[in-house]
Amino acid sequence: MASLHDQMAATGKVKLSKDMPQGVERLKEEHRKVVKDCRSQIEHWKKVENDYESLQDRLRTLPDKLSYDIMVPFGPLAFMPGKLVHTNELTVLLGDNWFAKCSAKQADALVEHRKKHVKNTLDDLQKVMKNFQNRADFTDDLEKLTGDTGDFADIREEVINEEEVTKGKPRLALKPNSKPKQEYLLELEEDKEKKEGDEERTTGVLSEEELWARLDELERQEELQDERYRLDSTDTNGEDTTSSSEEEKEADGGSDVQVNGHQKENGWVPSSITSQMNGTNGSHPEDEEEEDCNEEAGNGLPTIYFSHTAEFKKVRINTGKNTTLKFSERNEQKAQAKRKKKSGKSNGHSPHESYKITSPADIYRVFVDLVNGEPIPRKSILKSRSRENSVCSDTSESSTADFEERRAAFGRSWSHDDATHSDTSDGITEEESPTGTSPRTNGRFEAFTGTVIEKDPLPCSIPHLTIAPPALPTIPERKLEEVGPEAPQEPPKRMSKFKATRLHQK
Amino acid sequence: MAEAIQKKLQSELEKYQQLQKDVSKSMSARQKLEAQLTENNIVKEELGLLDSQNTVYKLIGPVLVKQDLDEAKATVSKRLEYINGEIQRYETLLKEMERKSEQHREVLSSLQQEYQRAQGQAVGKV
Repeated sequence: MASLHDQMAATGKVKLSKDMPQGVERLKEEHRKVVKDCRSQIEHWKKVENDYESLQDRLRTLPDKLSYDIMVPFGPLAFMPGKLVHTNELTVLLGDNWFAKCSAKQADALVEHRKKHVKNTLDDLQKVMKNFQNRADFTDDLEKLTGDTGDFADIREEVINEEEVTKGKPRLALKPNSKPKQEYLLELEEDKEKKEGDEERTTGVLSEEELWARLDELERQEELQDERYRLDSTDTNGEDTTSSSEEEKEADGGSDVQVNGHQKENGWVPSSITSQMNGTNGSHPEDEEEEDCNEEAGNGLPTIYFSHTAEFKKVRINTGKNTTLKFSERNEQKAQAKRKKKSGKSNGHSPHESYKITSPADIYRVFVDLVNGEPIPRKSILKSRSRENSVCSDTSESSTADFEERRAAFGRSWSHDDATHSDTSDGITEEESPTGTSPRTNGRFEAFTGTVIEKDPLPCSIPHLTIAPPALPTIPERKLEEVGPEAPQEPPKRMSKFKATRLHQK
Repeated sequence: MAEAIQKKLQSELEKYQQLQKDVSKSMSARQKLEAQLTENNIVKEELGLLDSQNTVYKLIGPVLVKQDLDEAKATVSKRLEYINGEIQRYETLLKEMERKSEQHREVLSSLQQEYQRAQGQAVGKV
C-alpha cells in the first residue's frame, strides 16, 4: 500500500486522480472475469461429480436382478420395450478409444478413481477463485483508501533524523546485500537445493545482519517517502528536511548565534503566518508542515501528521562558547511554539516580533522587570551552570531535561491546533503577560528593543549572571541587527562581558 | 518518402499478424496435446486397476478389437511418450515464434516512429 501511495505521490496528484479510477476499474473487471470463469468451471465439474455419483448408485443396484424390463431407445424418437440382461457385464470406456469388459464392482472402482481426479480439479479451481476474489477485494480496499471515502485515514509521522535510530549498533549488513532478499527467495523456491544449502549454512550468522540490512532498507525507503511527501505537500522551493541538509545548515550557521538569529528573523516574518519558507531555514518548513498539514486534504486522504516531539539532539557539543549545531533546531521549535502561543493569546498583536529567543534563558533575559528604570531579570527556573549558555546547553543533563520538558510541552501544544498549556508553559506565559504588556503597547519591534537595550548596561548584567547566565551578552548582539544606533557600543561591551563572565565564574 | 515508409509499415504489419496467427495455432495444438496427455494418464491408471481376466478392446473405426491387457498397457505408455515428445516440440516452436514476433514488433515500432517523423516533416514542408 505504501509503495502504491508512494508512486501516486511521486507521479503527481492531478494526473493520477484521473488514471487511478480507470486503472482500478480495469483491474476489477479482470478480476471479476476470472472469478466468473472459475465459478462456471466449478459448476461444470460439480455436475460431473454428481453424474458419477448417480452412476455409482446404478452400478450398485444393477446386479441385483438378472434382467430388467426397460424401454429401450430406438433411434432418436422412439422407445421399445425390452430387457436388460447380463447385468454384471459392463464395457467401460477407459478413454482414448480403449474399452474394457468388467464387472459392476470393478466398474465401481474405476468410477471411484475418476471421481478422485474430478475432486482434485475442483479443489484447484476453488483455490484460484478464492485467490482472485481476494485480489478483487484488495483492489476495492485500495480504491477506498485512495479516494476520500471510507474510514481510512493516513497517519504519517515525519521522521527527520533517521541516523540516530540505531545508535551504537554495528551496522554489519549495510552493504547492498542480496541476503535479505535471498531469504524470501528461499521461502518460495524450496526445491532449489543450492539456496537451501546457503540458508542452512548461514542462518545463524545472517539473521541479525539481514535484520539490520532490512531495517536500513526500510529506513531509506521511509526517508524517500517522507521526502517525496514533503515535497508534495508543501510548496517550498528547494526545501530539504533531511538530516544532512540540516547539519549543513547548522554548519553554515556555524558557531555564530548572531547569524542564526539573523536568519531566523528573516524567516519568522513570513513563515509564522503563511507557508512560504526561507530556503535557509530547513526546520521551519517542517514545523509549518506539522502545524498546517492537518487541514490539508490534497492527498485524497485525510492525513494526520503525527510528530514525535522526541529529541533532536544528536551531538552533544561540549563547548564553553558558541557552537549551536543541533541544539538550535529545538530552540527554533520552542521559540516558534512560544510564538504561536503568544500570537494565540494576543490576537491583535503581530506575531512577528522576533525576540530572538532561542532558549528559555533568553526568555528570562528578554522579559524583565523594570525596576527604577533598571531592568532586573526575573529569577530563572533554570539551574545555573557554569557552562550554560543559551547557545550550547546540550552539555548539561538537567538543562536538557528541562528543555525536553518544555519542548515537549510546546510540541504538544502545537500539534493540537489550540494551545493547550502545560504547567511549565503556563509558568512561562504567565511571566510573559505582565511584562509583555509594555512591549505590546508599542506594537512594534523597534520600540521593544528600546526597553531591552535599556536593561543592558554592563554593570547591571554582571551581578545577574548567576541567574540569567552568559546568555545576557548575546542579546545586544542580536539587537545589533535590528537597531542600528546601538551598534558601535555593543561589540566592545560584548567582548568584555564574555571575559567578565568567565572571570566571574572562575 | 512517407509513402515508402507507409508501405514498409504495411508489409511488416502483415508479417507480424501472420506470425501471431501461427503462434495461436501452435498454442491450441499444444493445449489439445495436453488434454490427451491427461487422458492417457487416466487410462494407464485404470488399466492398472484391471486384471487380466477382463478383456480389453480398442476402438478402431467402427470395430472393437480385442487387445491383450499387457499389450494395451504398453501401447498406452508408448502413446504417452509420443505425446510428451510432441509437446516438447511445440514448446520450442512456440518459443521460436515468440522471439520472431518480438523482433517484428520492434521493427514495427521503429518504422512507426519514422513514419510519424516523416509525416511531421511533410506537414512542416507544406
